[in-house]
Amino acid sequence: MLLPCEIIQSASLAVPQFALPLLAPAILATAALFLLRREASAAKGQGPLAEIAAALALVVALGAAVQLALSGPATLTLLATRGFGLSVRLDIVGVTMLLLITFVGWVVLRFSRGYLAGEPGERRFTGWICATLAAALLLVCAGNLLQLLVAWIATSLCLHRLLLFYPARPAAQRAARKKFVVARLADAALLLACLVLVAGYGTGDIGTILAQARSGPVPAGSGWAVALLVTAALLKSAQFPAHGWLVEVMEAPTPVSALLHAGIINAGGFLLIRFADLLLTAPGALAALVLVGGFTALLGGLVMLTQSAIKTSLAWSTVAQMGFMVLQCGLALFPLALLHIVAHSLYKAHAFLSSGWAVEQVAATRRPGPVAVAGLRVVAQAFAFALALYALMGLSFGFADKSPQAIALGAILVFGVAYLIAQGLADAAPRALTLRTSAAAIAASLSYFLLQRFAQWLTSATLPPIPPPTALEWALIVLTLLSFGGVAFAQALFPHWAGHPALTGLRVHLANGFYGNAIFDRLTRGWARPISSLPTSERSPS
Amino acid sequence: MNAQPGQDALQAALMAQADRAARIIPPLWPLSASVAVNPFLGLAGETLPMAAARLGRAGGIPVTMPRTFYRERWQTGEITPGDLAAAIANHPGAPDRVAVEAALAGDPAPASPIPTVAALCADATGIDWPGFVADRIGAWASGHFDLGQAMWPKTQAAGAYESWRAFATQDLSPEIAGLKGFCLRISREPQAAPAAIRRACLALGLPQAAAESYFTTLLTGLGGWAQYARHLQWQAERDGGTDATITDLLAIALAFEAALHAQFGRQIAEPWRQAIDAHAAPAEPSPDQIIDALLQEAYDRAAQRRFFVAWRPAASRTEPPAHPSVQAAFCIDVRSEIIRRALESLDPGVETLGFAGFFGIGVSHRRLGSLNGEARLPVLLKPGLGSFTCDVPGEAAEEKQRIGARARRAWGRFKRAAVSSFAFVEASGPLYLWKLFHDSVMADHRPNGDGAAPRLDASLTVAQRAEMAATILRAMSLTSRFARLVLLAGHGARLVNNAHASALQCGACGGFPGDVNARLLAGLLNDDAVRSGLAAQGIEIPADTRFVAGLHDTVSDEVTLFDREALPPSHAADLARLESLLASAGRLARTERALCLPGATGEGDVARRGRNWAQVRPEWGLAGCKAFIAAPRRHTAGASLAGRAFLHSYDWRADPGFKVLELILTAPVVVASWISLQYYGSAVAPAAFGAGNKLLHNVVGGIGVFEGNGGLLRGGLPWQSVHDGERLMHEPLRLSVVVAAPREAILGVLAHHPNLRALFDQGWLALFTMDDAGRLAGRYHAKGWTDVEIEQEAGPLAA
Repeated sequence: MLLPCEIIQSASLAVPQFALPLLAPAILATAALFLLRREASAAKGQGPLAEIAAALALVVALGAAVQLALSGPATLTLLATRGFGLSVRLDIVGVTMLLLITFVGWVVLRFSRGYLAGEPGERRFTGWICATLAAALLLVCAGNLLQLLVAWIATSLCLHRLLLFYPARPAAQRAARKKFVVARLADAALLLACLVLVAGYGTGDIGTILAQARSGPVPAGSGWAVALLVTAALLKSAQFPAHGWLVEVMEAPTPVSALLHAGIINAGGFLLIRFADLLLTAPGALAALVLVGGFTALLGGLVMLTQSAIKTSLAWSTVAQMGFMVLQCGLALFPLALLHIVAHSLYKAHAFLSSGWAVEQVAATRRPGPVAVAGLRVVAQAFAFALALYALMGLSFGFADKSPQAIALGAILVFGVAYLIAQGLADAAPRALTLRTSAAAIAASLSYFLLQRFAQWLTSATLPPIPPPTALEWALIVLTLLSFGGVAFAQALFPHWAGHPALTGLRVHLANGFYGNAIFDRLTRGWARPISSLPTSERSPS
Repeated sequence: MNAQPGQDALQAALMAQADRAARIIPPLWPLSASVAVNPFLGLAGETLPMAAARLGRAGGIPVTMPRTFYRERWQTGEITPGDLAAAIANHPGAPDRVAVEAALAGDPAPASPIPTVAALCADATGIDWPGFVADRIGAWASGHFDLGQAMWPKTQAAGAYESWRAFATQDLSPEIAGLKGFCLRISREPQAAPAAIRRACLALGLPQAAAESYFTTLLTGLGGWAQYARHLQWQAERDGGTDATITDLLAIALAFEAALHAQFGRQIAEPWRQAIDAHAAPAEPSPDQIIDALLQEAYDRAAQRRFFVAWRPAASRTEPPAHPSVQAAFCIDVRSEIIRRALESLDPGVETLGFAGFFGIGVSHRRLGSLNGEARLPVLLKPGLGSFTCDVPGEAAEEKQRIGARARRAWGRFKRAAVSSFAFVEASGPLYLWKLFHDSVMADHRPNGDGAAPRLDASLTVAQRAEMAATILRAMSLTSRFARLVLLAGHGARLVNNAHASALQCGACGGFPGDVNARLLAGLLNDDAVRSGLAAQGIEIPADTRFVAGLHDTVSDEVTLFDREALPPSHAADLARLESLLASAGRLARTERALCLPGATGEGDVARRGRNWAQVRPEWGLAGCKAFIAAPRRHTAGASLAGRAFLHSYDWRADPGFKVLELILTAPVVVASWISLQYYGSAVAPAAFGAGNKLLHNVVGGIGVFEGNGGLLRGGLPWQSVHDGERLMHEPLRLSVVVAAPREAILGVLAHHPNLRALFDQGWLALFTMDDAGRLAGRYHAKGWTDVEIEQEAGPLAA
């Protein structure tokens, strides 16, 4: 198989070592400045400026991809001394994130232009979206720790302005306060991590640090740096118990949710993938990621089942998906975590922006009558079928070159596919339905394996190979398989137990997200009398 | 728990008051089939100042615009001294002109509600208890009323109160927030709502005299949840049953009040005693509320004056064609007026008619592949007919459709379930790259209406069908002079990604598009057997007359024609001509509408507007509606009514027993009043009767929206539906009903329908008659009629 680095070597073009990706944040930052300076201008509307800026940034990101393909991974320096300043870590991780953020940014800005038309503060809104995007782009292309830290903090502060777009809403204040506390803790953790890294490795250049971590030996204190990085990432990606704020930020216009859930929330995952080489030097940190991520994934997934409001349910789904991504990082499956970030972001941006369909969707699910109930035998059949499918795929794609971690992860996903099959077998389902769900199950499995292969091929030059599992990791893999398998099996039998009176309490506690927010609110006096309780839609005095 | 006899009497008395309080709450239909509702429905027997007093003390809800709104219109001369004088003269004992003009300078504070225990506790403790209680009730209610958003449904329970008890005895949030021992307290509450209400009232020290007012305050404070419960009650009672959900909600609200009182009672003893006294005192409008109501009436009169002058019958009269080449019947919806006018302007041979858009066919319709009936008729009526869409022969198409729907549902559950959602994202997330791009550039439309023709249940005999057809044609005043081609055009709005889409559909079809009803009627009237039956009843439809059904898309003003293959080849040319006329009329209508749609660059832009997934103002719906005219079209044709009038065809000379008049006044007029007052309520009291900011909408349970995270369900219209960002697009006016019929005939109908009469007597609607020359003739007052001379009555015209 041809590896990307070989393709790169075969390209003999000389590419100027120009920090091209920095143009993307620069364009959006300019647009932000322009809009925010003219925020109070009498002119109506905002025009296509921001949308064009995002489209240009997307073109720059595509240019960066070409640059990477031609010249290979590198650190491009614009303005830096001793590894501090403005520089770009040009590799597949950074370029993927650049492409993702500029694309989602373009979609969100284009959407906002229509959605917020006529809204007071329209320019302020668009301006802060541009600013947030610029900061996020600066973050993902950061070549050194200082830039990373500054962009990390700036992203969060810009987002804060968006979360308080309607500053008088008490619930917006309550959620933003929680977010603020969590984000500052994450900032502090990242700051400390950077200090420890600089002290240990003697440079702020990320490429140098990663190379040294990969080749070894690691300096003293590196373990602490990893622990701090992991802490920052867990806080930032809404992992239990710091997940609460994310499910309460529907107090800002829909495009903010789309941007948050498809962009900003990935900062934690990006940090883990960016420092993958470093993470591998601290197996304890990886174990923590497996435990926290796996637990959050299952918790979020279960809570989501109980949510009746579309955006809230989507937010819990993000908590779960971020948990799953963290779990993948913990299993050292960094290429898959990157794939998960991209796949989830695209799906979630669409899900939020199209949440106006929810009424029609609920009506559509009711039209064909009650949902068929799958019995124990059918579910067992479905699982057997799914595992057989997995074995078949494995044989045709080759299990041999796969790590146990990847095989375990594939098994988890196949448990999910079993649910699709079970639905098509349930309750004397017509043959045509069985065929359709089975076909969908096969297509989903195939698509998953192909994408996984693709991600591994694409990142092989940048991300570290998966190390063989240690005893601790074996234990974690078994634990993960058992817990995900158990939940998957239970979920397929859902109608049999969901309405049982014995589970009333569990359902209530789950619907309340195990009181994470209630406790946080009590601690931060979240329910204290709001500054102003005027509803936003109250007409303004003319 | 056995109650003492005295307690039984107390409980019965309290429940009677709870029931009265519940009936003040307007019903709220689910968004899957929403219809406009008069938010003042429960207060329709009261005057505007009295409604202001009641809603003011119940929730601080205004029923008129802020004073400055009227002041600006007074200063610009939009409201003239004549308008004000006429308004004052209409209310004996009202403040005089000097007093009102003096009051115009002031800006009175909005009425403040009588505080609840929660509000008093908030003052005493600095904790937002009302917000917290709303959040907790919302957390439970969103699950309880969920129609299928959450995959894990709530535990089955008989009633709302029982379901809430099961929730509240497990929910730890109140205790975490500082409400001590809440779960234990609720577990000791009576199991039935009436006993719980009695117990809470005793604990709160509430005398019976204060109960109804206090209950109204609590139910009002539950916002859309109480309104949705009222809808369940309304629906049950229409079908001859009962429903206790709304009093269950009252018991829930009282349980929180009693719990807060038990903990903080000492701190709020004095203000709570005052609140009880205020509740016990009768509601009384304040001088400012009386003045605001007068100003609103003056504003109404000013608008009537301008509206009627703009449409001066003598100047605008155009005779309808003696032998129309095409007759086109549209829904009375104000949006039809624009396209009707455009059609008439293109070809003098076209005659248009207005009739309620369900065309008298009140069906419960099953669409292709669906097992559920959709009530496609006005919500005031109960469906008496069944219909369904299916392809003949057999059920092959239906089965295929159903399997498709089930497969999509299975995929949807795969997408959302706990573990499979990860597999879904990893396998198909990248596909959303295309979806995002595609929807950003322009979403697709589904076709207008179902493909296959709907059919009526086979159980109807030919005689019954003919009887039905005769009734409908008479109600349409269409019993002779049939054209070769008669278009029956229902309407719908083709929209994407819009939670409030059903609010823009046909209200007469229960919040669905009108294609099914129009197609059913066209099929009925094209049936030879039915025609013979009609002839026996004296309605002779010429053999060469054909009916064709259409659907007017009110977003794009395109009209789709259905079942064309059922028409004989002899009518192909007529059909082609009609299509070309409709296409031209659509362009004219879009050009006219483009002027007031924000951001619209021209008619082409309007045509595409419904496909933009980011568009929060695809069309203006019925915003701006201000008049209902039941008259022959010749009296209104030629004048531009700017899409602001409901136009119902009516010829009283063809209505010997005034049965049709009675039907019009009791059905379409009432529906129009609900629409008009819904817009009015959403404009004057957006916080209480509007759905809030569309940008923050969070669809809950498939039935309604939250504004933001949670809390109260929000009914009514979104702010974006009445406001374009700079100004109100719906002028908050009360509807003017104009009927071309003799005064006595109208009085006769009102005498039989006291509820209808109250709407006019209390000023929720204004009523005028029109004479045979199409001139405005009489204005109705509770005491009788006055002759109308619009220009003279209102004084000199403002420029």
